[in-house]
Amino acid sequence: MINVSFYLRRLHSLCGLVLLGGVLIEHLLTNASAMGGPEVFNNGLAMMEQIPQPIFLGIEICLYAVPILFHGIYGVYIAMQAKNNPSEYGYSRNWKFALQRWTAWYLVAFLIWHVGYLRIYTKGIMGEHISYALVQSTLANPVVFALYAIGMFAAIFHFCNGITTFCMTWGITKGPRSQCVVDKGAMGLCVLMCLFTLAFMSSYFM
Amino acid sequence: MAKNKIIVVGGGLSGLMATLKICEAGGEVDLFSYCPVKRSHSLCAQGGINACMDTKGEHDSIYEHFDDTVYGGDFLADQLAVKGMVEAAPKLIKMFDRMGVPFTRTPEGVLDLRNFGGQKNKRTCFAGSTTGQQLLYALDEQVRRWEVKGGVTKYEFWEFVKIFKDKNGVCRGIIAQSMNSMEIKAFKADVVILATGGPGQVFGRCTASTICNGSAVSAVYQQGAKIANPEFIQIHPTAIPGSDKNRLMSEACRGEGGRVWVYRDGKPWYFLEDMYPAYGNLVPRDVASRAIFKVCVHMDLGINHDRRVYLDLSHIPADYLERKLGGIIEIYTEFVGKDPRKVPMEIFPSVHYSMGGIYVDRKHFTNIPGLMASGECDHQYHGANRLGANSLLSAAYSGTVSGPEAVKWAKENVSKLCEITDAEIEAARKEVQDEYDKIRQMNGPENAHKLHQEMGEIMYEYVSIERDNNGLDICLGKLKEILKRWENIGVTDHGNWANQEAMFVRQLRNMIIYAMAITKSARSRDESRGAHAKIMLDENGKRIEKDGELQFYPRNDEKFMFTSVVSFDAATEEPVVTYEEFEHSLIKARPRNYAVAKKE
Amino acid sequence: MAEQKKTVKFIIERQDSPTSKPYTQEFEIPYRPALNVVASLMEIQKNPVTTDGKKVAPVVWECNCLEKVCGACMMVINGRARQACCALIDELEQPIRLQPARTFPVIRDLLIDRSVMFESLKRVQAWVEVDGSWEVKDAPIQNPYTATTAYEISHCMTCGCCLEACPNVGPQSDFIGASPSVQAYLFNLHPLGKFDKEKRLEALMGKGGITSCGNSQNCVEVCPKNIKLTTYLAQLNRDVNKHALKNIFNK
Repeated sequence: MINVSFYLRRLHSLCGLVLLGGVLIEHLLTNASAMGGPEVFNNGLAMMEQIPQPIFLGIEICLYAVPILFHGIYGVYIAMQAKNNPSEYGYSRNWKFALQRWTAWYLVAFLIWHVGYLRIYTKGIMGEHISYALVQSTLANPVVFALYAIGMFAAIFHFCNGITTFCMTWGITKGPRSQCVVDKGAMGLCVLMCLFTLAFMSSYFM
Repeated sequence: MAKNKIIVVGGGLSGLMATLKICEAGGEVDLFSYCPVKRSHSLCAQGGINACMDTKGEHDSIYEHFDDTVYGGDFLADQLAVKGMVEAAPKLIKMFDRMGVPFTRTPEGVLDLRNFGGQKNKRTCFAGSTTGQQLLYALDEQVRRWEVKGGVTKYEFWEFVKIFKDKNGVCRGIIAQSMNSMEIKAFKADVVILATGGPGQVFGRCTASTICNGSAVSAVYQQGAKIANPEFIQIHPTAIPGSDKNRLMSEACRGEGGRVWVYRDGKPWYFLEDMYPAYGNLVPRDVASRAIFKVCVHMDLGINHDRRVYLDLSHIPADYLERKLGGIIEIYTEFVGKDPRKVPMEIFPSVHYSMGGIYVDRKHFTNIPGLMASGECDHQYHGANRLGANSLLSAAYSGTVSGPEAVKWAKENVSKLCEITDAEIEAARKEVQDEYDKIRQMNGPENAHKLHQEMGEIMYEYVSIERDNNGLDICLGKLKEILKRWENIGVTDHGNWANQEAMFVRQLRNMIIYAMAITKSARSRDESRGAHAKIMLDENGKRIEKDGELQFYPRNDEKFMFTSVVSFDAATEEPVVTYEEFEHSLIKARPRNYAVAKKE
Repeated sequence: MAEQKKTVKFIIERQDSPTSKPYTQEFEIPYRPALNVVASLMEIQKNPVTTDGKKVAPVVWECNCLEKVCGACMMVINGRARQACCALIDELEQPIRLQPARTFPVIRDLLIDRSVMFESLKRVQAWVEVDGSWEVKDAPIQNPYTATTAYEISHCMTCGCCLEACPNVGPQSDFIGASPSVQAYLFNLHPLGKFDKEKRLEALMGKGGITSCGNSQNCVEVCPKNIKLTTYLAQLNRDVNKHALKNIFNK
């Protein structure tokens, strides 16, 4: 027996925390530069564009597209195996279990929209450069702003709760106390990251 | 050569042990149970299992265990059978240990031992206070292993209804009914072993599970198997009275230092310690039960004049209690809502175990060839009273005897048996089918469950701790009435899918008939011995009292040191009691007195 | 007292056969102290009449010991999986809703088919491979602390509460659930059972094994025996991961 599902599931966990966690943090840091004003933001993007096209595309495919697709598609399969029941068993971990899956569903839709519109349509097909002005005009629509904010919060929660479950799944935290400490730490991180996100998203209109 | 097919009915400790032994001896088992075997009643045993391990520096010996058991059983147990059991006990413990039973251990990792009623030495191996559960699980796991290997086929949720015999009267298989599809089927076998447990439900509320109704025993009794010593019903002194059942508070409570008391003149009176200075709270169960009954009923000293006394653990350190008695403390807290670590528990005696059962020889054969009985449903090992922690031992041990003997019998005899035709088997099956179809159509005014409750109340009234001949006569009359009223039961469920009601109606009839055997047998035994305590009556039928004390019949070895054997008279549906010799030559009978230390 | 006779109300979800449609019926029984759900169902048996006066077939359910050791009477009471025998009426909100544990196939009314759990025990080889029940030699001495852990896990009565409460167990998934998984750990602790540790870990790595645990941790909350299921699941995760590394590098 080669236990495919075991290795896939572990890969899913590892990929989610390390690679997609990295993607999330990269996005946060890049976008945070908007707080420094249009120049800082645009300079940062310009720096990135100095990476030769083939290498950049390679990075995008290997570190972004493939992990997201794998984590997303296998994640949908996992989420389909759950019948969420926090209304009957309203324990905090069970709520987080359900939220992990609900945020996942939202993120699937959100990412299709986000990547499809910004990366594929705007940048890929129309050939526009992503810029401070572009982001600002996009977020100026309050509906878009809200959807983006929710998308970010969902991703952040999904990541932070993922830290807690990662520690359980890999047998790092065993007893209830260590699991609780990691859980609290992760939720603290989640709040900080959300506030941070709100700050840079609002900075466009300050 | 084809493997010998043995049917084991019942998946408790004894049935599973027999199954295991049969598989190891090269036989094949069809295992019938009307619950998943892992939920059998053996798991309710709490306190422990006796075996002379002698690891406490007390110079305990197998002979001492033997003598305690025989003496505790008031010299009515077959001594050769008991001897075999106590000799095998330490080996059984080691086997269970290897199988993974999480026995409680000493700091150096060997099995811990505790005190138990009726024994002066520490001899009881235990796994916290859920020893039965742990032992049963170990055997369940081993049988599951054999199921995977292919020696065992389980028929769970199948109810045993009857055996069928060939024209020479040899048992050739059973008729059983699926409890879901209600299909009734015949199963052939070389030997049938009944390991169906006790008849506690005959008394309505008791410490037994709802499945312990003695129905199977009664069924074979009506088919010609003899019953022995059914009048010896153990009343456990310490149970939490309840409306659905009386929940057992293990004897381990007393073994670990629990004290029984009531208020007298405003002060706690530790009446067991007072009445029986040598054994104190650790007197055997029949003695303790009678004392509690006397204090509550005749002296009216029960808590709030109720039938309850205190069982006190509150003086024992809480962490020690947790380690040794965790499980039962949890039961009390869970079902009563009070914490025994802080307040004394309120308890009263309850029907607990049947020493008697199907009449078997030392190899566990019944008087019907091809039919064996093993475990609580047989009459062996305990005489007139069972010592605490000897039941798990007798259950497991009887399986180690009945299993191999079944295979041996099958090997020797199967070729000599006459042909049994499919038509004969089908006729037996059809009989059960017709009976069941008739029950399903019953349309009278009586409710089976209410009738059952009524029977339980009658049995408690007349055939429990104290008996007298008047009461027993009344009881027999009332039971006959109930048997008649059974005909007028109406069922509301006429369907044919998982019809629990119809099955219960069938079991109830068997229970009534078994109750009659208990009562008749008690009526015939004019003495007090072990759990059977009979009050003398004067010529007017009034209970004789001397100095305010009820006068009990003494033990009468000359007339009654015999096994009561009950057979069923099919014409009148009444029990017929006779007496049979048994082996009691190894230890000479002597008076049983727990007020002084035992002398050999 | 007579006029304020208290009663207990039940709304019971019933189903006549595995394939038929569920429906509910209401029953009312007289109150008495220390009443529990099983005792109430027994009361209904004695007089199976609904609140609107209809005489019906008595409710079908499973129970044995009534002491919370056999595991038979697990059902969903007011939305939560638990043992009916120790569900005291005094501690429940009325009307009391009884439902079968639908994680398992329903046979009739509250009676369910939990054979899948026993099959899972076969799969994880939840037993010690003893040579036989005959005398071999003394059993090995055991560390009393390890034995205490084993005793705790060995309380598991296969009732299925942890499976019913787990969002990842059910017809939609092949997860075997907490109870059978943790049983594997029990036998990995035993000095003789240990010899087959790798076989059990291998079984847990298979489809529907411990990998399917989603850490909702409902199991540990509902376990009627207070077994620290999540702790042992995490330990098993650790063991399984180590075993996987061994598989990758040692072969």
